Amino acid sequence: MNARKGLVGAAAALCALLAACGGGEGGAGGAAAGGPVGQPVNGGTAIVAVKSDFDAFNPVTSTALTTLDIVKDMLFTPLIRYDEKLNPTPYLAERWELSDTAVVFHLRDGVTWHDGQPLTAEDVKFTFDLAKAKETASLLGSAYLTMVKSATVVDPHTIRFGFTAPHAQALDDFWWAPLPRHLLQNVAPSALAQAPFNRQPVGSGPFKLASWQAGQAVTLEANPAFPASMGGRPRLDRVVFRIIPEATTRMNELQAGTVDVNYSVQPDEAKQLQGQPAIHVFHYPSREFTYLGWNATRPLFADARVRRALTQAIDRNRLMAAPFMYGFAQAGSSVIPPISPMNPGLQPLPFDPAAAKALLAQAGWTDSNGDGVLDKGGQPFRFNLITSASNRLFSDVATVIQQQLKAVGVDAQIQTMEFQTLLRAHKSREYDGIITNWTWDYFRADPTPLFSCAEARKPSSANRTGYCNPQADALMQKGLAATDPAQAKAVWTEFAGLLQQDQPVTVLFWAEEIGGVGPRVQDVRMDARSKLANVTQWWIPAARQKR
Amino acid sequence: MIGYLLRRMLGAIPLLLGILTIIFFIIHLAPGDPTARFFSPQVSPEVIEQMRHNLGLDQPLHIQYLKWMKSFLTGDFGYSLGQGRPISEIMPEVLWNTLQLTLVSLVIIFVVGMLIGIVQAVRQYSVADNVLTVLALFFYSMPTFWFALMLSLIFALKASQWGWPVVLPSSGMATVGTEWLGRGAILRDRLLHLILPATALGIGTAAGVARYMRGAMLEVIHQDFIRTARAKGLSERTVIFKHALRNAMIPIITLLGLYLPFLLSGAVLVETIFAWPGMGSTVVNAIFQRDYPLVMATSFVIAVIVVLGNLLSDVLYAVVDPRIRAE
Repeated sequence: MNARKGLVGAAAALCALLAACGGGEGGAGGAAAGGPVGQPVNGGTAIVAVKSDFDAFNPVTSTALTTLDIVKDMLFTPLIRYDEKLNPTPYLAERWELSDTAVVFHLRDGVTWHDGQPLTAEDVKFTFDLAKAKETASLLGSAYLTMVKSATVVDPHTIRFGFTAPHAQALDDFWWAPLPRHLLQNVAPSALAQAPFNRQPVGSGPFKLASWQAGQAVTLEANPAFPASMGGRPRLDRVVFRIIPEATTRMNELQAGTVDVNYSVQPDEAKQLQGQPAIHVFHYPSREFTYLGWNATRPLFADARVRRALTQAIDRNRLMAAPFMYGFAQAGSSVIPPISPMNPGLQPLPFDPAAAKALLAQAGWTDSNGDGVLDKGGQPFRFNLITSASNRLFSDVATVIQQQLKAVGVDAQIQTMEFQTLLRAHKSREYDGIITNWTWDYFRADPTPLFSCAEARKPSSANRTGYCNPQADALMQKGLAATDPAQAKAVWTEFAGLLQQDQPVTVLFWAEEIGGVGPRVQDVRMDARSKLANVTQWWIPAARQKR
Repeated sequence: MIGYLLRRMLGAIPLLLGILTIIFFIIHLAPGDPTARFFSPQVSPEVIEQMRHNLGLDQPLHIQYLKWMKSFLTGDFGYSLGQGRPISEIMPEVLWNTLQLTLVSLVIIFVVGMLIGIVQAVRQYSVADNVLTVLALFFYSMPTFWFALMLSLIFALKASQWGWPVVLPSSGMATVGTEWLGRGAILRDRLLHLILPATALGIGTAAGVARYMRGAMLEVIHQDFIRTARAKGLSERTVIFKHALRNAMIPIITLLGLYLPFLLSGAVLVETIFAWPGMGSTVVNAIFQRDYPLVMATSFVIAVIVVLGNLLSDVLYAVVDPRIRAE
């Protein structure tokens, strides 16, 4: 089957929240396609096809991208949201006072849970404490709230969060949504992942959960009581998320008009859809980068010159074109998303096999016995390149890279593995080179887990290349502590320059997120925030509400 | 007969426990574990350890095994780690979904397959026989996933684009909004949704059954007792369907016993393509996610079905063949 579907278990579980802005394709959803459709009206049901079932509608325990989109944009009300330029905007918090040591949020009055109970600062503190509790083992608490120390309720509509240290982009710690304390206070934190609440959530957002048929569909219905100050009742009556694992089937349904939105379109399909006037294709840079990681703990790749040479030996533009990404990818040199305000906009190292050969010769690698493979001290430059067997894109990319490396005299032996086996080799640093991807699930740039020396030798840490450079450590510390955005950006630019020289990983490309929208639903907008960023504005003309 | 059945069932118990024990250790020894899905770079190894502790995965394997066995023997399959809900809730749902699909395709397989086989045998070497042989070979050699995609392309997408009177749904079990309609409409909608996946699942096997049926039937038709039946003036219909068919059934019944478990567990491709939430996709996802309790529960169900399938075909032998009954 298709390449990217294979990852199902893994990709579906990728914990990530879309962030950062930019890209995207113009606003008006299907309006361009269906001709003039008049003024927005309420009513109707939109059908969205998604790839896999949802995990848990609980911001503290969920780790799946699409689930968290629904949590943030439909079922619950995060403290802040983002505008198209990725500036934080008021949502549950109508205003805030931010300092270097703390932030005070003033919550909106009149927001209620779907069961009618008022949403107060107590709920926000409860959720924060739950996420931070060790027993919960929450992704939210352990990954996103590391810089937030404490939550104090000032009054029912005011809450103060204390920081462990001053840091840049501090508001980005608060993209999450509170949970109802009155329904969850009796659940033990260690049992939260299995709480029945996760499947029958009582939220506070513009939509309520109507039904969840496992493996088939999730139906959300409009919350008529949603406060006007936060956007009021959504225009649609219902949004049905249908679970359709096979990409071709999702495409067929979109083209036949039996679904209105295809939540994940493959690059080759997107190319095909772009020629169809009835379908609107949205694509924008994701925060997922595909890379070739070099195991720096192996002598072969301990030398930065070798890694730099190998990067220059790989023609990354070819991978971004057909028949791989069909142009739905962006080049990137650093590991900071191209869409992040902190991205330095550095040009990637150019594809230059001659320079690569020269660098390798400098590092002592020459073809002394004339067999076409470089050698040094009698050892040929031969290594294992591992990747996931279930991801056809990756194994295709590996084959192309193998060819390109051969041209500079490097012999890469491709080995594909079942995903979990691959992950174990990756985590324990028992590999030479690996093709895989990371998805940033953070609004803030924080590459420390991937590249800091402190993590470099720890077993199963996220620094799986074993890269360690005290200079990089110092820059990352400085970048995280900088509270002035301009200053932070300067530090990250310097950091990106250093990484460019060290090449702990070769960034192959940043894949784009692609969504397809049929002619029925109007005013759909998808951008780097989420594919559901303006779901409350979607509407269906009265004449087309009945199928 | 009853005593025989009981003996067979009792004999199956140690077999099932053995299978489950082996699967338990195999799946736990496979690399990775359910926490692998938390692969955000920001999650520290300590948090992963805590998750493993919450799930009881930090205990020694034999303790985990004994714990699992104990709750299994008390009828508790535990929680699915991937879906976060009790397995007792998942299994009936998934089994019923699969059963609807496989029963319909089982009917297609045997009714269509046997009819074609009989026609071919009765009209051996006729044009119809030759055409059907080629067709059967064609469908038999077709990869299921490709056939499924073609069905969906033609009868769902192209049918709607070309304005055919009937457009079949290409995925899911029900049309959105049907739940507010009457029983009749719901049933009709479900049947429409079943056509493509059941055909895709059944057609190749039906072609195989047709080949078996033709062979078995030909062997029987040329035997003396058929000539006797014809000689005593029975109608051709009675000769074929009553005398010949019954004797040609033995190999087909063996097939039925073999296909039964296959149909309940091996429909992964068809289920995925047509978004049918059944056993096949549940098993595969559970294995990929290392959702141990769900892997164990589904293995148990599949093992039981294999055992029952074999038992069923043994019983059916006895029904059609008096000689076996006598033993």
